Amino acid sequence: MREYNLNIAGYNIRLESYDDGPELVPDERFHLNIIPRSDYDVRIRVHHGIFRPGEDSERLFVAPYLVEIKGYKLSRCENFWSVYKENGDMLLTTNFPESISNKRATLKFSLTLREWDLYLENAGFETDPLEYPLDGLILYYLTAIKADIMIHASGVYYGGKGYLFSGISGKGKTTMSKLWDNVGAQVIHDDRLIIRNTDGVYRMYNTPVNRNDGPREAPLTKIFFIEHGSENELYPLREASAVSYVVANSIQHNYSPDMIARFLGSVSMMCSKVPIATLSFRPDRSIIEYLLRNE
Amino acid sequence: MIDLDSVVSHSPDIVTRKTGNEYVLVPLANNIADMNRLFTLNESGAFIWELIDGEKNIREIVERFTEEFDIESETATRDVLAFMENMSNYLIIRL
Repeated sequence: MREYNLNIAGYNIRLESYDDGPELVPDERFHLNIIPRSDYDVRIRVHHGIFRPGEDSERLFVAPYLVEIKGYKLSRCENFWSVYKENGDMLLTTNFPESISNKRATLKFSLTLREWDLYLENAGFETDPLEYPLDGLILYYLTAIKADIMIHASGVYYGGKGYLFSGISGKGKTTMSKLWDNVGAQVIHDDRLIIRNTDGVYRMYNTPVNRNDGPREAPLTKIFFIEHGSENELYPLREASAVSYVVANSIQHNYSPDMIARFLGSVSMMCSKVPIATLSFRPDRSIIEYLLRNE
Repeated sequence: MIDLDSVVSHSPDIVTRKTGNEYVLVPLANNIADMNRLFTLNESGAFIWELIDGEKNIREIVERFTEEFDIESETATRDVLAFMENMSNYLIIRL
């Protein structure tokens, strides 16, 4: 197809391809996110072609390609994707490590305008315009524009309350979501969530970065920073401690003081509204009883 | 070498956020946030931080700290100097 809209975390993303672009074939994990609309929060026009940062561009950020093996991060490529600033525009260039062709992309975007352009090299006649890593990166910049928060976390909705469990890999996010799933909770996601503030109410949203569940969301009632333990114990966090935990577990590629200040402001505001605690937990049903008892 | 006559100022490579009576400090490296090196300041640390302005020397800050927290001068001096040493070692403040 030549155009479609996606609802991801409440963001309405429109993708269009004209004569100079490929046929758009969204990956199966996005199928439940396609919505019958033509308005948008951001429109991405997809083109065949080469677009390189100019000599006057300023490189702001470069990310290596890391793979994780048994908890160790190994670098396989020093230049995976990069962000540049050029004449008021932002440019994001990337390779596609999971693609068998030598596909490359440049996304020309703005933090203030809604019209973006995606240039694809060696994409073939048809392609998924949101192939990894573009999916997560586009979502990340949308969170930055909207002052939202993207965080490593699992989230569940149970008894009218939404609980978010955050921590780095291995701390128990997936374990926790499975425990809640076993008692009938709705699992919003088990790895990555977007937190948004709409009219003063915080909600958490899933992302189709790794899963194909379709859009899920729930009100955000409490946040826990988790780790495995021999006993179930929670300790409330406040003020600077709460903010620092959220910041340390959030996904961010902030490359300017203004972006960082804006991000800290969002986190600080959320921490003043949503209760936050550290949680040591036994990986069994007792943690659910413990949390419900401590409501 | 930091002493009571030293005048210190905030590093320009820090983004700060006050939350309640505390602070979160995020150091920058080449304009990029180093989220692995966040600092938090409790109420007394926040009080000292707000007195650092590139004009007062540490002796003046100690005097203000002593009054505010109603503690002995010797204790205040030790605490403030230790704070300044730490912040300087992490490049959060500079002479």
